[in-house]
Amino acid sequence: MSIEPFMQRALLAALVMGPLCGFMGVFVTARRMSFFSDTIAHAALAGVALGFWMGVKDPTVPMIIFSLAVALLILWLKERTDLLNDTIMALLLSGSVAFGMVILSLLKGFRNELDRFLFGDIFSVGWGEVEVAMGVTVGVSYLLFRHLNSLALLTAHEDLAHVSGVPVRRLNQLFVILLTITVALSIRLLGIVLVTSLVVVPPATARNLAQSLRQQIILSLFLGLSGAVGGVALSYPLNLPGGPCITLTLIAFFIFSLLISKLIRLNKSLPGPL
Amino acid sequence: MEIAFCQPRDVVVEVTGLQVRLGDTQVLKGVSLRVRKGSIVALIGPNGSGKTTLLRCLLGLQPVDSGSVRLFGEVPSPESLRRVGYVPQRLQVDRSFILTVREFLAIRLPATRGWFWRSTHFIDSQLKELVADLDVERLLDRPLAGLSGGQLQRVLICSSLLNKPELLLLDEPTAGVDTPGEKDFYELISTVQRHLGLTVVLVSHDLSMVYRHASWVYALNGVICCEGPPEDVMSADSLKQAYGIHVTPYQHHHHVH
Repeated sequence: MSIEPFMQRALLAALVMGPLCGFMGVFVTARRMSFFSDTIAHAALAGVALGFWMGVKDPTVPMIIFSLAVALLILWLKERTDLLNDTIMALLLSGSVAFGMVILSLLKGFRNELDRFLFGDIFSVGWGEVEVAMGVTVGVSYLLFRHLNSLALLTAHEDLAHVSGVPVRRLNQLFVILLTITVALSIRLLGIVLVTSLVVVPPATARNLAQSLRQQIILSLFLGLSGAVGGVALSYPLNLPGGPCITLTLIAFFIFSLLISKLIRLNKSLPGPL
Repeated sequence: MEIAFCQPRDVVVEVTGLQVRLGDTQVLKGVSLRVRKGSIVALIGPNGSGKTTLLRCLLGLQPVDSGSVRLFGEVPSPESLRRVGYVPQRLQVDRSFILTVREFLAIRLPATRGWFWRSTHFIDSQLKELVADLDVERLLDRPLAGLSGGQLQRVLICSSLLNKPELLLLDEPTAGVDTPGEKDFYELISTVQRHLGLTVVLVSHDLSMVYRHASWVYALNGVICCEGPPEDVMSADSLKQAYGIHVTPYQHHHHVH
C-alpha cells in the first residue's frame, strides 16, 4: 500500500514536531509557562496578518519574528515592571489577536489562509516546511540536551542555578527563543488555537506515569510522537481535521494515563497526579 | 575585636560599608563585617532586618548601592562562587517536575553531569560516599517535590557539598523544619564544618541553636547592632538593641551525663 505524498509530508512533520514539543513541554509545564506558550502562539496571528499585509506569500517568517518580539517583550516587562506575569501575558495575547484581526479586516481574500493558521492544516504542509521542521528539531533538541543540567537546575531553583554558575538570564532567553520557534512552527500542524496542547499534554501525561525526570522526558518524547502521528493517521481515513484529531488523541492518552496511575498506584510515593 | 587582627588570607568574607535599597526601603545602611576562615558565623535579627539581602549580596544575586563585598578577596564572580556552597531557604519545586534526589545530585557533580545517559548504578557509585555520610541514600529515588522540610534540607546540604566548597552559606536553613529536625540539622552542620574545615555563614531565627553552634554572631537590623561570641551578643540588652523589643535569650543549662 503506497502512502500519498501529502500524507507522507504530514506524517513526517508530525513525527519530528510531536517529540520536540513533548520534550520542550517538560520544562514548560514545570516552569509554569503554559500560558506563555499560549500567548506566543496567539501573537503569531498578528505576525501572519502583518505578513499578508506586506504581500508575503508564506507568512511563516514574519509570524516567527513577531512571536519572538512578543516573547522577548514579555521577558523585558517581567524584569522591568511590577506587573504580574498573568497580566503581562493577557495584555499581549489579547493585544496581538486584536491587532491581527484589525489588519486582516482591512485586507480582502485571506479568510481561508487565516483558517489554516487558526486551526492548522497539516495536510497542506510542503516538503520545504518538512525540511525546516527537521532542521529545527535537530538544532533545538541538541541545544536542549546540551543545556539539560542547567535547565533542570534553573527549574528547581533560580538562585541555586546562579550560584552553580548557570548564566540564568541568558539561559532564560535561549529557552524562550527555542520555545517560540518550536511553537510557531507547530502552528502549521495544530493551529494557533490548539498548538499549546502538543506542548502541555504529553509532559502532563508522562508525569502521571514517570517516577523521575529522565523517565518523564523519554515518555513525553514518545507521547508527543505517538499523539501527533496517531492523530494524523486517524484523521485522514475518518475525514476529520488533523489538528483537533491530534489534540483529542493526546487527551485520550492523558485520561488513560490517569486511570493507569490510579489503578496501579504508581504515584504512591509522589505528591499525586496533576 | 577578635577578627580585627587576623591575617588577610584568613578572611573569607569581607563586607565594607554595604548599602542596599529595595524599592523605597533602605534595607542595609552601611553594613561592615568580616568572616574568619573555619568559623561558624550567624546572622540574626528581626524580619526585614536585611539578613537575607546581605546573604544575597554575598552571592552576587543582589546589586549593591554602595560599599563592597569580597569573597576570598575577590568580588563575587562565577570563579569565586565555585568555592561556595549555598543552601537556600526553601526549594519550591513544582509538583509537575519530578526531579529525583539522585538526578538533582547528579546534575551538580562533575563526574555525573551526563546522568541522562548513564545507568543508575554508575550514578550511585559516584554519589555513594557523600550520600551515605549524610544519610541521603534512602531518599535517592524520591522526587524533590515530595520530601519533608527536614529531608529536603539534608539533600540541599549534600548537594552544596558536592563541589567541595570552602565556604557554606545557609539562608534560614531550618524554615519549615520541625523542632527535632532543626536540632538534627544544626548538629549536622557542626559535624560537617568540623570534618571538612569549612567556613559557615548562616542566617537564622533560632537563637538557641545559634547559641549552641555559632562561633561568632552578628545581630543585624539595617546596621550591625552588635557582634561577638554568642554568649556576649545574646544577652538581653544586646538582643533588645537588635530586635527593638525584649527577647528572652537562651538559657544555657549544664547537664550531668
